[in-house]
Amino acid sequence: MHRLLHPLAWWIWAGSLAIGVAMTNSALIAGTVVGAAAIVVRRKAEKAPWAATFPWALKIGLWVIAIRVIAGVLIGVPIPGRTLFTLPILPLPSWMAGIRIGGAVTLERVSATAHDGVMLAAIIALLGAAASLSSPHRLLRSLPIMVYEFGVAVVIATSVLPQLVASVRRIRDAQRLRGQETRGFLSWRRIALPLLEDSLSRSLDLAAAMDARGYGYSRKRSRYRPNSWSAIEYAICAASVAALIKPQYLVTVAAILPLFLAPAPKVVMST
Amino acid sequence: MITFSNVSLIYPNSTQTVIEDLSFTVAEGEFVLVMGPTGVGKSSLLRLINGLVPHHTGGILAGDIRVNGISTQSVKPGGLAHIVGIVGQNPLNGFVTDVVEEELAFGMETLNLPPDTMRKRVEEVLDLLSLAHLRNRSIATLSGGEQQRVAIGSALVMHPKVLVLDEPTSALDPIAAEEVLSILQRLVHDLSLTVIIAEHKLERVIQFADRVIYIRGDGTTEIGTPQEILKTSAIAPPIVQLAHALNLPEIALTVREMRRMTEPLRDSLALIPTPNQTPAEPGEEVVKVIGVSVAYGSKLALRDVSLTIGRREIVAVMGRNGAGKSSFLRAIVGVLEIDRGTISLLGRDPHDLRGRERTALTGFIPQEPSDILYGQSVSGECSQADRDNHISPGETFALLQKLVPEISAGTHPRDLSEGQRLALALSVVLSAQPQLLVLDEPTRGLDYSAKNSLISILRKMAEEENRAVVLATHDVELVAQLATRVIFIADGEIIADGPTVDVLLSSPAFAPQVAKVMSPSPWLTVKDVVGAIWTPA
Repeated sequence: MHRLLHPLAWWIWAGSLAIGVAMTNSALIAGTVVGAAAIVVRRKAEKAPWAATFPWALKIGLWVIAIRVIAGVLIGVPIPGRTLFTLPILPLPSWMAGIRIGGAVTLERVSATAHDGVMLAAIIALLGAAASLSSPHRLLRSLPIMVYEFGVAVVIATSVLPQLVASVRRIRDAQRLRGQETRGFLSWRRIALPLLEDSLSRSLDLAAAMDARGYGYSRKRSRYRPNSWSAIEYAICAASVAALIKPQYLVTVAAILPLFLAPAPKVVMST
Repeated sequence: MITFSNVSLIYPNSTQTVIEDLSFTVAEGEFVLVMGPTGVGKSSLLRLINGLVPHHTGGILAGDIRVNGISTQSVKPGGLAHIVGIVGQNPLNGFVTDVVEEELAFGMETLNLPPDTMRKRVEEVLDLLSLAHLRNRSIATLSGGEQQRVAIGSALVMHPKVLVLDEPTSALDPIAAEEVLSILQRLVHDLSLTVIIAEHKLERVIQFADRVIYIRGDGTTEIGTPQEILKTSAIAPPIVQLAHALNLPEIALTVREMRRMTEPLRDSLALIPTPNQTPAEPGEEVVKVIGVSVAYGSKLALRDVSLTIGRREIVAVMGRNGAGKSSFLRAIVGVLEIDRGTISLLGRDPHDLRGRERTALTGFIPQEPSDILYGQSVSGECSQADRDNHISPGETFALLQKLVPEISAGTHPRDLSEGQRLALALSVVLSAQPQLLVLDEPTRGLDYSAKNSLISILRKMAEEENRAVVLATHDVELVAQLATRVIFIADGEIIADGPTVDVLLSSPAFAPQVAKVMSPSPWLTVKDVVGAIWTPA
């Protein structure tokens, strides 16, 4: 099996970058770091379902910026400066003094809220990058033994979830073919019952299979292919933590570093 | 290796014993087939071997079962994990992780084996089952045969002494089934593994069996060599039925033996001109498909498919797992969006049909018949169908009783046997009098007698009631007895389309047993042969 970077290393890398970005408090650096992370994700992420997390995080980030700016324009304390346009002021009771809805919208106010939004979006995007780059299953496997059993339960649950979605689709199709319209609130029972029965018998099957394979029989449990921690992981983690000393200069360098150090993702055969 | 002494089993809330006073011994390296009609307790028997019954299911077990000297009463199934490997009917339900290699390692991890032992065994099994090229693949993307191999592999890595398989080939096409069974055969011979297998499609597995445990409908059991059991048993593969029909003194279990035994007979039959087997002309066109393509992402499921299906035709759609059979069925009933081309059902676009209009034109029986059932009882289900179709109360139930007379109205659909559930789904769908009936793999888990009643129902629908029937199936013997026309799909394209005789005989893998025995005479079923002999042209 192809060697991959330890999932925890990705999270330390992304976490340090997020802290660094917050420390510099500069939208320019935030943008550059996210850009660098995007290149790393594009080049180093496996072709797997979780790789879609980064684009999703970017989308959420854009929403965050939009909501932050709209809220900032409508509500907030007046900041003096060049007025762009003026909104009508909503009269508020006297005990809510200090808060104003509407009023003059200055360039300074828009840019300040946009800046806040960008910083928040950058942090979300960086965490999304870490999630994209590391398999949740491998991350769970590197958890300490105490929470490991819980981890195995989560792995099983995540494997079952896609099957559940597939069952819903299958049952809906079948019912449509029986001439039952499956949209609307009243149809839930017709789907829920077969679905419940289906997933119940499936979980019984799974439980029997795990029982038969000795799950839970032995107190101790060994690990196949434990995730190893080598020089590359140390280098990336050390570099990204060290970047926090002078984040304004170093955080971008740390962001792009895995592009050169991390091993390439394994080639996934087309299905 | 396995000893059952005076074993009886009864499930909770039940008054009838599933297994009564069963005793037998299986030696190391034996290949044992468990056969019997559906619902007689074959699965229970298999799950007794590693203690899943009664430890996991509940129930009272009398007598003693010893596997490799260990009594299953005294240890939990997990304690036998290194001795007994078990592979279920639907491997997908038993997979714990999502990648082939991790799935193979899972059982060993739970047994706390050292990592280097695990690495060695995983490599061994990957080679043994030719899975090496699939090691990093997500299990969900594998074909049915590959999944079944992974399931067998994940049992084998534990180095079990006994491998138990519950209908391992029921969802597989003939070629994938062959592959799985020949691997088992090799394991028995090379590693002296003990294999216990339950299977309905006897024609696939009987040639490998050393011994047969036959559970009759009334719960009594008989144990012996395949020859002894099949000579008298009520269920038998077509090759044995043929021997009975021809009044041969001995029965044969392989095509080779049977051909030797029937050599003089075939010589005399060769003189008789082959019967005219061209099926009746199809009636008015029901389904018209022109240039249809369907793609899932970048993968083409159907590629430029065109055909017409008329009334009175029974069309079998065959092909490998994942060849596009289900996509084809789902496209003609209108649940699948098609990317190109047109489909019309008696002039209507099936995609636009709603409610009553839809049920009057098409009926669809999905792979899991319970998907369309949501009632709390058989009678509730039937009266719902009466209301939906605006027919007089009780009509659907009357229809159902014609199919399965012994069914009781108060039973929950989940508690019905496989065959009864199919009959219920069928009568619910048929109560709307659809012009086209579509069935997706209707014979999974059906025994020979349930299959025969399905055949007579579908025949009647097509011949007497002038309807069209389309079914996707892997069951060659069913196709031989039922279909008037066979469509062969490979990689989304129709590669063969013609009368059943022509299509089935053109491919050795898909030829039914009788045809293999009687070749080159073009007879597919025992009935064909008998008909040809008693009424020579």
